[in-house]
Amino acid sequence: MANEATLARAAAPSAVPAALLRHLRNPWLIAALAALAVVLTWNATGTTPAAFTHLWRWLPALLRGLWVNIEISVLAVAIGTAVGLVVGALSLSPVHAVRVVMRCYVQVFRNAPILVLIYFTTYVFPFEVSIVQWTFPFPDWVKVVLGLALPTSANVAEIFRGAIQSIPSAQWEAAQSLAFKRNQIFRLVVLPQCVRRMLPPWMNLYASITMSTSLASLVGVHDVVDTAQIASNTVARTDFTILVYFTLLVLFFAYCYPIARATRALEKRHERH
Amino acid sequence: MSDASWLVQGVQALKGIGLNYAFVLDASERQAFVRGMFVTVQLALLTIPGSLTAGVVLAAFMTSGRAWLAGPARAFVEVTRNTPTLVQLYCAFLVLNMLITQVLRDWGAGNSPLTPFVWVVVVVSLHKGVFHAEALRAGIEAVPATTLEAARSLGFSQRQLLARVQLPLAVRFALPSLVNNLVDLVKMTAVASAIAVGDVTYESIMIWSQRDNVLELLLLILLWFGLLTWLVSRAGRWLEHHWRMPGYGQ
Repeated sequence: MANEATLARAAAPSAVPAALLRHLRNPWLIAALAALAVVLTWNATGTTPAAFTHLWRWLPALLRGLWVNIEISVLAVAIGTAVGLVVGALSLSPVHAVRVVMRCYVQVFRNAPILVLIYFTTYVFPFEVSIVQWTFPFPDWVKVVLGLALPTSANVAEIFRGAIQSIPSAQWEAAQSLAFKRNQIFRLVVLPQCVRRMLPPWMNLYASITMSTSLASLVGVHDVVDTAQIASNTVARTDFTILVYFTLLVLFFAYCYPIARATRALEKRHERH
Repeated sequence: MSDASWLVQGVQALKGIGLNYAFVLDASERQAFVRGMFVTVQLALLTIPGSLTAGVVLAAFMTSGRAWLAGPARAFVEVTRNTPTLVQLYCAFLVLNMLITQVLRDWGAGNSPLTPFVWVVVVVSLHKGVFHAEALRAGIEAVPATTLEAARSLGFSQRQLLARVQLPLAVRFALPSLVNNLVDLVKMTAVASAIAVGDVTYESIMIWSQRDNVLELLLLILLWFGLLTWLVSRAGRWLEHHWRMPGYGQ
C-alpha cells in the first residue's frame, strides 16, 4: 500500500508539469492570463485608464450589438442554404431551360457586391407588408437578412453542384448494377459523400457572411459596428475611439477565427479519406 | 444635339416599361454618375496591382522559413481573413488617419495627404493581398522538391530561387484562385462608399436620395460591376491559356 502511494506520488510530479507546460506554452492562454493580470492590477491599485472604464461600461451594448450580427448571419445562412440547395439541385435538372435560368440566378447573385444587394433589399422592399387587412412591419434587419440570403443561396448552389459533380460517375453505374433505384443512389451513396465535401466550404461561407453583417450598420441597423460608432461619438475621447474600434476587430476575430480553425481541421481530416 | 435626343428617346422608352431614368437628362447628375463609374474603375485598377504585390510579399514571408518573418505574416493573414473589411476600413480611416492627422497638425505640417480614396486602396489591397498570399503559398509549396534541388545545384541563391523558379510556377498553379480573388476585389471596392469616396455606389446614393429611383440605379450599378468582373475573369482565362506550361498543372 505504502509502496504504491509513493510510486503514485513519484509519478505525479513528472506527469503534471509536462501537461501543465504544454498548456502554458499555448499563446492564447498566455495572452488571456496576461490580460487578466493587467485588469486585476488596475482594479487593485485603482489606476484603470479612463478609456478602459468607458469600454467596460459600453461592453454590454457592444455584445448586444454582436448578438444582432450573429442572429442576422444565422438566419441569412439558414434561408440561403435552403434556397441554395433547391437552386443547386435544379441547376442539374435535365431540362435545359431550367438549367439556364438557375445558372443566371447563380451568376447574377455571385457577381453582385454584397453591399449593393443589401441596399437593394433595404430600399426596394416596402417598410411594411399588407396582407388583406393586416399590416406587418418589415424591419430593416429582416431586409438585411434577405439581402445576405441572396448571395448565400447562389454560393450554396455552386457548392452543392460542385459536390454532386465531384462524385465519380462510376459510383452511379456501380450502384445501378447493384439494382439501386435513382433516388436510392442519390440518398444512400451520393448525398452522404456530398455533405462531407460541402461542409468546409459551407463553413467558410458562414464566416464570410458573418463578416458581411457589419455592412448592416450602413443601412441603419443597430449592430455592433453601429454601437461602436455611437459609443465613440458619445464618449468623444481619442483613446476610447482607438480602443473601441480595435475591440470591434477583436470581437469579430474571436467569433470567426474558431470557425476558420474548425474548417481547416475538417479539411485536413477529409484529405486522408 | 443628336446625342441628347437619343438620350431623351431612351429615357422615354424605359419609362414605358416602368423604369424612371430621368436623372440621365440632368447634366450634373449624369456627370456625377459617370464620374462614379470611373472612380470605381480607378479603384479596381489601383487595388489589383496593389493586392498582388501585397500577396507576393506576404507569401514570400510565410514561406521564407524564418520565424521572425513568417510569424508576423501569419498573424497578419489570420487577423485580416477573420475580420470584416468595413471594420478594417474604419480602423484605418477613423483611427490611424485621425492619429496621423493629429501628429501632422502638432508638427505644423498641414493637412494629411492621405485621402479616403488612398485609405480604401490601401485597406482593400492588403485585405485581398492576404487571400492572394494564401493561394500563392499553396502554389509555392506545390513546386516539386526535385525542381528546387535542381535549381539549387545550378547555384541559384534563395532569392533567385523564389523569383525565377518558385513564383513563376506558383502563379500558374494559383491563377484560378487569384482570378477569383480579383473578381471579389472588384466587388469589394463598393465598400468605399462607406467613407464617402465618390465611387459608383456613393454617387448613386446621392442621386437616389434626391429622386425615388433606387431600383433603376441599382440595376445600373449591378450591370457596371457585372461588366467589370466579367472583364477580369476574361483576362484571367486568357492568362491561364497564355501561360499554360505543357506538363505542369492540369
